[in-house]
Amino acid sequence: MEGMVQDEGSSSVTSSSPLQFFSLMSLSPGLGSPWIREMKSEERGLYLIHLLISCANHVAAGSLENANIGLDQISQLASPDGDTMQRIAAYFMQALADRVLKALPGIYKALNATKISSVAEGIMVRRFFFDLCPFLKLAFVITNQAIIEAMEGEKIVHIIDLNAAEPAQWIALIQALSARREGPPHLRITGIHEQKEVLEQTALRLTEEAEKLDIPFQFNPVVSKLENLDIESLRVKTGEAVAISSILQLHSLLASDDEIHRKKSSPPSRNFSSAHFHRVLKMNQSTLGELMEKDMANGYSPSPDSASSSPLFLPSSAKMESFLMALWGLSPKVMVVAEQESNHNGSTLMERLLEALYFYGSLFDCLESTVPRASMERIKVEKMLFGEEIKNIVACEGVERKERHEKLEKWVQRLDLAGFGRVPLSYFGLQQARRLLQSYGCDGYRIKEENGCQVICWQDRALFSVSSWRCRRYD
Amino acid sequence: MEEEVENSSGEASGSSSGNQLAKNSTNNTEAVKRKRNLPGMPDPEAEVISLSPKTLMATNRFICEICNKGFQRDQNLQLHRRGHNLPWKLRQRSNKEVVRKRVYVCPEPTCIHHDPKRALGDLTGIKKHFSRKHGEKKWKCDKCGKKYAVQSDWKAHGKTCGSKEYKCDCGTVFSRRDSFVTHRAFCDALADESSRKDGGGGKLQKLALVVCSSPNSSSVVSMAQPVENTGQTELPIYQKTELPKNPVGHFQLNPPLAGVNGSSGSSSTGTSMFNSVFGSALSGNLQPQPSSFSDLVCVASRESTSVTEPPLLRLSSNSGFTLFGTTGKDSSQFARPSQPAMSATALLQKAAEMGATASNPSLLRGFNMSVASSSGQQETLQWNAGHEVNTASASGHPTEGGVGLTELVTGPSLLFGSKLPTHDFLGLRMGLGGGGLPTGGVSALYSSMRGTAVGGRLDVVDGTASSIVEGNSEAKSD
Repeated sequence: MEGMVQDEGSSSVTSSSPLQFFSLMSLSPGLGSPWIREMKSEERGLYLIHLLISCANHVAAGSLENANIGLDQISQLASPDGDTMQRIAAYFMQALADRVLKALPGIYKALNATKISSVAEGIMVRRFFFDLCPFLKLAFVITNQAIIEAMEGEKIVHIIDLNAAEPAQWIALIQALSARREGPPHLRITGIHEQKEVLEQTALRLTEEAEKLDIPFQFNPVVSKLENLDIESLRVKTGEAVAISSILQLHSLLASDDEIHRKKSSPPSRNFSSAHFHRVLKMNQSTLGELMEKDMANGYSPSPDSASSSPLFLPSSAKMESFLMALWGLSPKVMVVAEQESNHNGSTLMERLLEALYFYGSLFDCLESTVPRASMERIKVEKMLFGEEIKNIVACEGVERKERHEKLEKWVQRLDLAGFGRVPLSYFGLQQARRLLQSYGCDGYRIKEENGCQVICWQDRALFSVSSWRCRRYD
Repeated sequence: MEEEVENSSGEASGSSSGNQLAKNSTNNTEAVKRKRNLPGMPDPEAEVISLSPKTLMATNRFICEICNKGFQRDQNLQLHRRGHNLPWKLRQRSNKEVVRKRVYVCPEPTCIHHDPKRALGDLTGIKKHFSRKHGEKKWKCDKCGKKYAVQSDWKAHGKTCGSKEYKCDCGTVFSRRDSFVTHRAFCDALADESSRKDGGGGKLQKLALVVCSSPNSSSVVSMAQPVENTGQTELPIYQKTELPKNPVGHFQLNPPLAGVNGSSGSSSTGTSMFNSVFGSALSGNLQPQPSSFSDLVCVASRESTSVTEPPLLRLSSNSGFTLFGTTGKDSSQFARPSQPAMSATALLQKAAEMGATASNPSLLRGFNMSVASSSGQQETLQWNAGHEVNTASASGHPTEGGVGLTELVTGPSLLFGSKLPTHDFLGLRMGLGGGGLPTGGVSALYSSMRGTAVGGRLDVVDGTASSIVEGNSEAKSD
């Protein structure tokens, strides 16, 4: 496979990413199969990266034949139970193949017609993730601490959980609240989830726990997709102190039909500094980034400084705005948002793929360092959790693409615009989280504080961010 | 025999005939402020009073001097005295100055409190002490049979005896919720830490720690000194659970706690919260065991053991958070040192570096190469057997830019043969960073190119890995 420069609208060499150039380095064709077997793992890893990126380039450019060859080569080296890079390559390869197949909708649908997704398996895989990695636990600890601090002195607390699948978080909170000096508050938890069974399980565990500790407790299940959430169904009463917990949920609301946005291009003219833009603008303009992408072959944003600090690069999303507005309307005392700390919402495939490589590379590394290779739980988490996310990021577009992770700075902008004020997370919460990590025994995990938010890292690579917000009225 | 203390003229309280009171005045005459002294060290200016056992245990210590009627309390005596219609002068309690602080010694000569230096400041206190230590235990709890000499102790015990029981997975039983919660948070952590230190199983007796918290229940900080619970306080936990006194060393885990903020309410809530996040997360299809968080954490280290293993077994077999540990099962895999298996992140960085060194078009043009060209020879990387390409060392050594450049210059024909021990095709020699560096001529070339930085790319050449690595830098954004 030779490196080539193609000036196509979507990406191949267009980005200035060094990884792209890496993928363009020529390979000598002398790759007989016996030699492949002898490759050491690093070389194989590098080769896999090379293959993945060049294959992605082909997919992005639409040259199916080359993509086919690339996938074939990758499949000879990748494996879901090999070393880290092999596993990553396996899932990325699958995602790319998925993407290619979508161009043949008949075949795609036929292949996926008999897929049965079982609720129990979903629950199980989530539990595995919770157990194997401390990320969720850390997010819970930090969230709970923020809620407890915000709810000091409150007699009635109403918590809205945007994804009530893991009762452990609330069990911990219930226990903490019952030990409160002024006694436990009257607690209501409204859990939102798409699957009724999950909510039932959660309800059971939580009411059990609350009874044990003698706390007045009520669990309201709301079976709904987040984007279709009817705020009325949450039944927030006046006088209640509301807390909202969103753990890895908000990003799915950014999913929108990007094509429409792209077509409606008009020069972005927002000035983010004035407060009165809150909830006033209907943001139908496409971003400067998208505009640029049409003009230039380069899908990347220009110089680093302008990109990170300029507010103009906030892709708009009507769904997100209306959702945030609805939440804002509940006047929550505290809203804690935990999200993946990586930009997987780039408009081009290559952008997303490269970012995802780094992000999931780190996640897979984390699993590799902490869980044995043969562990079935690990394989399931990699396949059914990470693999599906990767597939979504790489293979899907438009409304289907739900895993629209974005970096903290974007979330900060978004939430700020929606009328939320940042509440710095307390040092105590950070300490608790650190203590948790200490007891975990593995020193690859780090937590650091950044402008009042907390970022969970694996070996210096930031993976998840947690930030806390309040409803800002009359400020 | 009574002796009047020199400065108090008609000091009548509590000292009248019929009782054998010996007052030993210590020293001075200054009015003593009522201040609290350090425990164990009475006020040096206080008056030391030594009472005989009979007097001590006498119920009516306060005697009216007029009619010799005895009262249990001084206030009652005063009330009674009013009834005698005393003339004005005698009416007041004649000690005009503030009553000197009194400290009491225990009459039992073998007792440590017999020494005036260890006198106790409170009469009631000394009475209780005397009963508890040297008296007969007349009160018995009918639930558990524990005996007490002081009735108030007995009553206090009766209130909590057997009322609520908390049981930790390690087998320790608690009657108090706070101590239970605190213990549970650290039980497994301590077990693992101690077994990590000692590397053994059978740490269960160490697990049977009694984590006492102070009576006001929420301060975790007080965990750090459990052994101070000597007979002083009435906290019965220690005796009740009959566990061995734990050396303070076991609380080594808690140094961070000592610095925990003053709001003790939240500190204990924090503890319970974080331990219960792990405490009860293991559920689903299992019977809901109140398993501790370490169990959950230890799932990572278990390959195939079913989740329904009894907790005790889990603790001992998985002690030490054997993620990197030695408890048999996964040791071979975790014994992996970091070097040979490169992490995906490191691989990606490396790939980025290699890509970056090849990417600079001006450089390449300068050497008659271009990235786009598919001309065979000048390729930077060849996955060809037999060509030893020294691209970069694994550790992202800053010189690797220069080395990579060398390759661009000299092409695949340059073999740093002697320097490369094995043939690894990409020259990925771990730990041999910087070997085979270009010598003078090339580095001159290299430095001459610094001036021709194009778009910042050239920085890559002499820069560290971090300047190249894209994914992590903030430069990359939408």
